[in-house]
Amino acid sequence: MVNKKAFYIFLAGTLTSLAIFLGLTWDTHRQVDALTNADKLSEQVVAGKRVWEKKNCNLCHTILGFGVYYAPDVTKVHKRIGTEGIKQVVLQPEVVFKDSFRKMPNLGVTEQEATDLAAFLEWVSKIDNHDWPPQDSEERMSAAERRATGGAGLSRGAAAFQQNCIGCHSIGGAGGSIGPALDTIGATYDAATVAAYIAEPTSVDPQSTMPPQTTVSDDDRSAIGEFLAKQQ
Amino acid sequence: MAEAAVLQTTMTEAAPEKVTGGEEVLVPYASQRVAYWYFVIALALFVLQLLVGLWLGISYAFTIPQNIVDALPFGLTRAMHTNLLVLWMLLGFMGGTYYLVPEEAEREIYSVKLAYIQLVAFVATGVIALVGFAFGWTQGKPILEIPTPLDFVVVIGALIFLFNVAMTVIKGKKTAILGMLLGGLVFLALLYIFGMPFYRNLTIDWFYWWWVVHLWVEGAWELVTAAILAFVLIKVTGVDRRVVEKYLYIETALFLFTGLAGTGHHYYWIGAPSTWLWIGGIFSAMEVLPIIAMVIDTFRTQRQKGVVIKDKVVWTFAVGTAVGHLIGAGVFGFAHTLPQINYFTHGSQVTASHGHLAFFGAYALLNFTMFWYAMPKLRGVRKVDATAAISGFWIMSLAVLGLGVAMAVAGIIQTYVERVLGQGFMVAQANMQFWFKVVLVFGVVLIVGLLMTFWQMVFAKEAPGEQEATV
Repeated sequence: MVNKKAFYIFLAGTLTSLAIFLGLTWDTHRQVDALTNADKLSEQVVAGKRVWEKKNCNLCHTILGFGVYYAPDVTKVHKRIGTEGIKQVVLQPEVVFKDSFRKMPNLGVTEQEATDLAAFLEWVSKIDNHDWPPQDSEERMSAAERRATGGAGLSRGAAAFQQNCIGCHSIGGAGGSIGPALDTIGATYDAATVAAYIAEPTSVDPQSTMPPQTTVSDDDRSAIGEFLAKQQ
Repeated sequence: MAEAAVLQTTMTEAAPEKVTGGEEVLVPYASQRVAYWYFVIALALFVLQLLVGLWLGISYAFTIPQNIVDALPFGLTRAMHTNLLVLWMLLGFMGGTYYLVPEEAEREIYSVKLAYIQLVAFVATGVIALVGFAFGWTQGKPILEIPTPLDFVVVIGALIFLFNVAMTVIKGKKTAILGMLLGGLVFLALLYIFGMPFYRNLTIDWFYWWWVVHLWVEGAWELVTAAILAFVLIKVTGVDRRVVEKYLYIETALFLFTGLAGTGHHYYWIGAPSTWLWIGGIFSAMEVLPIIAMVIDTFRTQRQKGVVIKDKVVWTFAVGTAVGHLIGAGVFGFAHTLPQINYFTHGSQVTASHGHLAFFGAYALLNFTMFWYAMPKLRGVRKVDATAAISGFWIMSLAVLGLGVAMAVAGIIQTYVERVLGQGFMVAQANMQFWFKVVLVFGVVLIVGLLMTFWQMVFAKEAPGEQEATV
C-alpha cells in the first residue's frame, strides 16, 4: 500500500534527524564546561543569575542574543562598562538614562544583588561563543574604533580611552551613550583635571554620577587626560 | 452554548428538508460542543494579547516617562504579550482537537467533564500567571516565565487532556490524522518539561529552552497543524482521504527531518560546539522545503478534477495558512538562518519581524481556519456572511504583513548601524524610530480586523439568503 511506504519514509527521516540531534546534544554536554569556563561558575555567579531572572532583565534585554530587543544585548556588557558601570546602571537607571529617549525602570536592586549580577555578567562575557555579538567583537571593531579615536595605533591615550571609556562615552559618534559624548571635552577640562575626574569624578564635579574608575592605572589616566584635552 | 443549541434546533425545524442522510447535521457528536468554550476563550485572549501588544508598540515608538516605566516596566507587559499568545494558541489547538477527534474516531469524547476541568485548569493558570507577573512572581525566562508551581498545574492539565484524547482514540476508529495529532500532542507535552528546571549554566539553560520553543513551533506544533489542516482539507474539498494522508506523511516527514536537527540554528552563538554551525545551517536551510510542499499540495488539491470547495471562508483561511507559513516561517526564517548572516542579525528586530510573521502566518491563521470551520456549526449558523469574514482575513493578514515588514526594515537598519558600523544601541534605535511608528499603525489596523472577525465568529446572526453548498 502506498501509505505504508509514506509512513516508513516519515519514520526514517524523523529518526535520522533525531539521531543527529541527540548525538550533537551529547557532544555539547561533553564540551560545554570548557567552552563556558564552568570552573569559574561560582555560587556568586549563580546568585547573579537568579537576580537576572528575578528582576525580569531578559524581558527587555537580550543575553547571548535571546530575549527581548527593547534594550541592549548584555552578553559582553561587562567588557563594555565593567562591574562599576553595571552597578551604576542597575542601581540608578533614572540618573544614567535621564536624557535617553528610552528609559530603564528602577527595579529596587540592592547593592548585594547588583554585585552578584555583575559577577554573573562577567562570567557570561567570557563564554566562548564564536565572538558574538559583532558590535562587541574586539577583532571586528578595533578598526572602526581606531578611526573614531584618531588612530589608537599612534597614541597611548587614545588606546587607553578605547579600552576603558568607550563603553559609556563616544567620540565622533562611535561609542556608548550612557555617559555624555566627549567630542569637545577639552574645551572644559585640561589634562590633569580629566585624570583627576577619572579617579574621583565628584572631586571635580560634585554633581557627577559617573562611578570612580578604580581599575584604570595612574599612567593610563594621565594618557587619557592628554588625549581628551585635545578634543575641543 | 445553550443559546446556540436552541438556535440549532430552531434551524433544524425551520429547514427540515436539509436534514437528509445525516449529512446536514451540523455537529454530529454532542461532545464536540466542548470546543465552543475553548474557541471563544482563545479568541478573547487573542484580543487581550493585541491590546497588550499595542502598549508595547507605543513603548517602542515614543518616550515613556520614568515614573510610568518604574510602575509598569516594559518587561512585565511583554511577558503578558507572549504568555497570552502561547495560552490562546494552545487552547485553540485543544479545542480543535476536541472538535476533530469525535468525527475522526467516530465516537463521543471519552469524558466531557474532564475536558471542562482541563479548560478551567488552563484558564486559571493563565489568570494567576498574568496577575502574578505584576507582583514579580516570575521565573524570568522569556515565554517560559510562569513559576514552577504553575508549571505543575500545566503538566496536570496536559496529562488530563492527553488521557482524554488517547482514551477516545483507543476506543474508537484509528486514522492517520489521529495518529499524527496524538503524536504531536504527546511530543508537545514532553518537551515542556525541559523548560522547567533551574539551570546553573546559562548556556545549558538556553540549550534546553529551545527544546521547548523551537521543537514546539518547528516540530510538535507542525504535527498538530498538519493533522488539523488535513482534516479540514478532507471536509471542505471532499478529496480522497488516502491522498491527503499520503501527503500528510510526506510533509510531516520533511518537517521533522529538517526541524529536529535544524534546532542547531539557535546554537550558533551560545557557547556550544561549532559543529552546530554546520548542522544547524544545512538542516535549517532545508526547513523551507516542507512548507513549499504544503503550499503546492494545497493548490494541487484545489485544482483536482471534480473538487468543489464547500466553504469559501474556511478555504481562504486554509490557503492563507499555507501561504502565510511560507512567507513568515519559510522565507523570513530562511533569510537569516545561515550562520554568516545570522552573526549580524541574531537578536535584532529582524528576529522580531520573523517571529510576528511566522506565528501569525503559520499558527494564528491555522487556528482561525479551524475556528471558521467549527464555530458556525457550533452556533447553528448555516450561512455566514462570507464577504465580511473574508474581509477580516485580508485586514488581519495585510496588517501583520505591514507590521512584519516595518519591523524587518527597522531590523536591517539596526543590523547595519549597530552590528556592522559598531555604533551604540541607542544610536541605532534612534534611526529606527520612524519604523516603530509604522508598526504601531499596522498594529491598530490588526486590532480592528480581529475585532471584526471576533464579532463575525461569535455574535453575528446567520446571513440572509439560501445556504450555498458551493461557491
